[in-house]
Amino acid sequence: MSADLLRINSLKKSFYRSPSLQTKVLSDVSFSMKEGEIVGLIGASGAGKSTIGRIISGLETADSGEILFVGNELTKMKAKVRRQLAKDIQMVFQDPYEALSSRMKIHEIVAEPLHILQIEKGNLEQRTQLVKEALRSVNLEPDYYMNRYPHELSGGERQRVGLARAFVCKPKLILADEPTSMLDTSLRLDLIRLMKKMNEQEGTSYLFITHDIALTRDFCDRLIVLKNGEIVETGETLDVIMNPVHPYTKTLIEALFILENHGG
Amino acid sequence: MRKTTKWIGLTGLVLFSAMLIFAIFGPMMIPYDAYKASGPPFQSPNLEHLLGTNDMGQDLLAELAVGARTSLFIGIASAILAVFIGGLIGVLAGYIGGRFETVVLRIIDIVLTLPFLPLMIVVAVYMGAGIFTLVFVITLVMWAGKARQIRAQTLSIKHTGPVLAAKTMGASHFYIFYKHIIPGVVPIFIPQFVTGVNAAILMESSLSFLGMGDPLTKSWGSILFYANSRSAFLTEAWMWWIIPPGVCIVIVVLAFSLMGYYLEERFNPRLGDYSVREKRKKQLVKTKEHHSSKGVLLSVESLTVAYPKSGDYRSVVDDISFAVKNGEVLGIVGESGSGKSTIATAIIQQLKRPAKESGEIYFEGNLVQHFDDEGLRQMRGKEIGYIAQAAMNALNPVIRIDKQLQEAIRAHYQLSAKVMDERVVEVLQKVGLDEKWRFAYPHELSGGMKQRVIIAMALINKPKLVIADEPTTGLDAIVQVEIVQLLRKLQKELGISMIYISHDLPSVLSVTDRLMIMKEGRKVDEGPSVELSKLSTNPYTRVLIDSIPTLYPKKETVEVSR
Repeated sequence: MSADLLRINSLKKSFYRSPSLQTKVLSDVSFSMKEGEIVGLIGASGAGKSTIGRIISGLETADSGEILFVGNELTKMKAKVRRQLAKDIQMVFQDPYEALSSRMKIHEIVAEPLHILQIEKGNLEQRTQLVKEALRSVNLEPDYYMNRYPHELSGGERQRVGLARAFVCKPKLILADEPTSMLDTSLRLDLIRLMKKMNEQEGTSYLFITHDIALTRDFCDRLIVLKNGEIVETGETLDVIMNPVHPYTKTLIEALFILENHGG
Repeated sequence: MRKTTKWIGLTGLVLFSAMLIFAIFGPMMIPYDAYKASGPPFQSPNLEHLLGTNDMGQDLLAELAVGARTSLFIGIASAILAVFIGGLIGVLAGYIGGRFETVVLRIIDIVLTLPFLPLMIVVAVYMGAGIFTLVFVITLVMWAGKARQIRAQTLSIKHTGPVLAAKTMGASHFYIFYKHIIPGVVPIFIPQFVTGVNAAILMESSLSFLGMGDPLTKSWGSILFYANSRSAFLTEAWMWWIIPPGVCIVIVVLAFSLMGYYLEERFNPRLGDYSVREKRKKQLVKTKEHHSSKGVLLSVESLTVAYPKSGDYRSVVDDISFAVKNGEVLGIVGESGSGKSTIATAIIQQLKRPAKESGEIYFEGNLVQHFDDEGLRQMRGKEIGYIAQAAMNALNPVIRIDKQLQEAIRAHYQLSAKVMDERVVEVLQKVGLDEKWRFAYPHELSGGMKQRVIIAMALINKPKLVIADEPTTGLDAIVQVEIVQLLRKLQKELGISMIYISHDLPSVLSVTDRLMIMKEGRKVDEGPSVELSKLSTNPYTRVLIDSIPTLYPKKETVEVSR
């Protein structure tokens, strides 16, 4: 049996708007991912799916629960040690217009993880090679794009830069938080295909957070359906899509079915 | 940036430079020592003493030049100190947050309430009056305001994408600080400094004038102090004793205000776009009578909208023509940047400046470009309902839903409160919201419910045409379906015409009768929705349709259902 890449045990998280007003975002969420697996995390807005991504990436802390990454407990780690793990866990953000610094050129943006994690420190040539490789892997011609600024790029191009930035240090896991939702429909599949390609070539795993089930059909191995901070259904992607069990999943899929058939 | 802004900035710079040259070289050029008597007292201006002398026979021009050094020094030194200290504290408070920030903010609040006159008196007693006491007090009063503004800027940068991204890349605080926070904050230090100099020079003058500066050092304020206390106002002497330092203060303050204005626009380019819109003249409206007989509600004829880009005009909408008949639903589909929303804003004549518009738009046979302001106001909201993009996030958070809906009625009709309430209830029911929700505030509603309120608002005056710009964007799949079905139901029930703008083809196909596909401002394809989606051979249309992700594998053969 191959080892778990990521294992999450009874993760809990609440936000406090005031001491008395508590909103439960996650109540007891547990799941695991194998190496090389692509898992889709599905749910409506407010279901807590983004929070899970943010907790794994270290942007938020959980109230309780364990996150085991290749056997290492992330929540109990010292900040310094935790930061080193970023080499293996990278994140792609929802908004391509917001996530890239407008002051940095594309090659600086893509090289930022190398810089931060001190990969190939002092070896500028090697770093440039890695950046070029990452840009090529997302179908952006390095010579054309390296010295441009984000504002010169379209939304789709920017999101691919964001993806290249995640690829550049060859992480084991990429947390993709609605990476397609701000893109035009015609560009969504492109991005998915690029992500799938990296999965096939490098064995990169993805936790793909989305509310768009249709996108997961050809991309994800397994789906986790989240509602109000609880997992209501998990299973192989096609199983879930073809034979949803939980009423909530049924509604989600029905909604898409209606749209696909132009309102029936 | 506008040309006038540059001129304003340049004028400020010239004024300030002139004053700086006067302060640096003045005392060297003027043959008199400002601290020694060099002629008889109370002399009016003459060739020897260009500005005359004061009560002790000191040359006033020499005094003015030496005073310029003091005043400018105090102004600039306190501004640098205040911005530096305020900046440091503001950035740290914003970045660290938590209890530290709370404590700092409370301290800032206290400092901001300190009255600087009594403070000066108290401090001067302990430290002795002098230039450095003045700098100390002015800095003490000024840093807090700077800290607060710089903290706000830091806070906004702290939550931006690049900073979050760097965090997930494992960046240390130090890295985030010098790579992302500092470069984002430093640009606002400069305008802060400029306004700081301004305030400091004014404060110095008033403190010195009240005799709380250093009585032995010449500054513009202290010249005024002596002039006032030695009866300059009783004689003609005020003309050359009081006015020159006053003018100097005005020039410096003006110079820094002008430079500040320039820098403000420089670092906040959006400000430059604000300008007063010209009033639209009343004129005879060109009409096309035959439209109404043919059932054409809206007709757009070779509409082109261009925006200036690098010296030239670039078309975002390029020669677009289409018509919407009574009761028809037209879908406009295209990727972001294809000009869809620009068409919508052109129809209601609300293009953002500095757009250049050509072509003709007829609503009910009348050329809307000829409408005056009142005519347009009548058309918007009454004849044409507009569901703007992401409008559901623009509901006023502190006003109840019913009040916001009534506001839409009141823009066009004068009705009694009872009738208006009935209207509100009726329209809420129409969009599938229980009438109890009219007493709710926007934050109590979910995204889908807010969008229903927006639709209700567009329909409340029973318009003939509704323009819906991306009405399902930002909503979950389930809610999207509900909204699409609602729009279709309402359109059929009320028999209104609709323009449905979206990049989301599946939802468009389910609502519209006819489709227009746009790319880079041009129309690339047009036709009845169902046929277009299944039969169009236009390569771009095919790309759009084939890239729709589907739950179930596509069938190989496609039948046209009619």
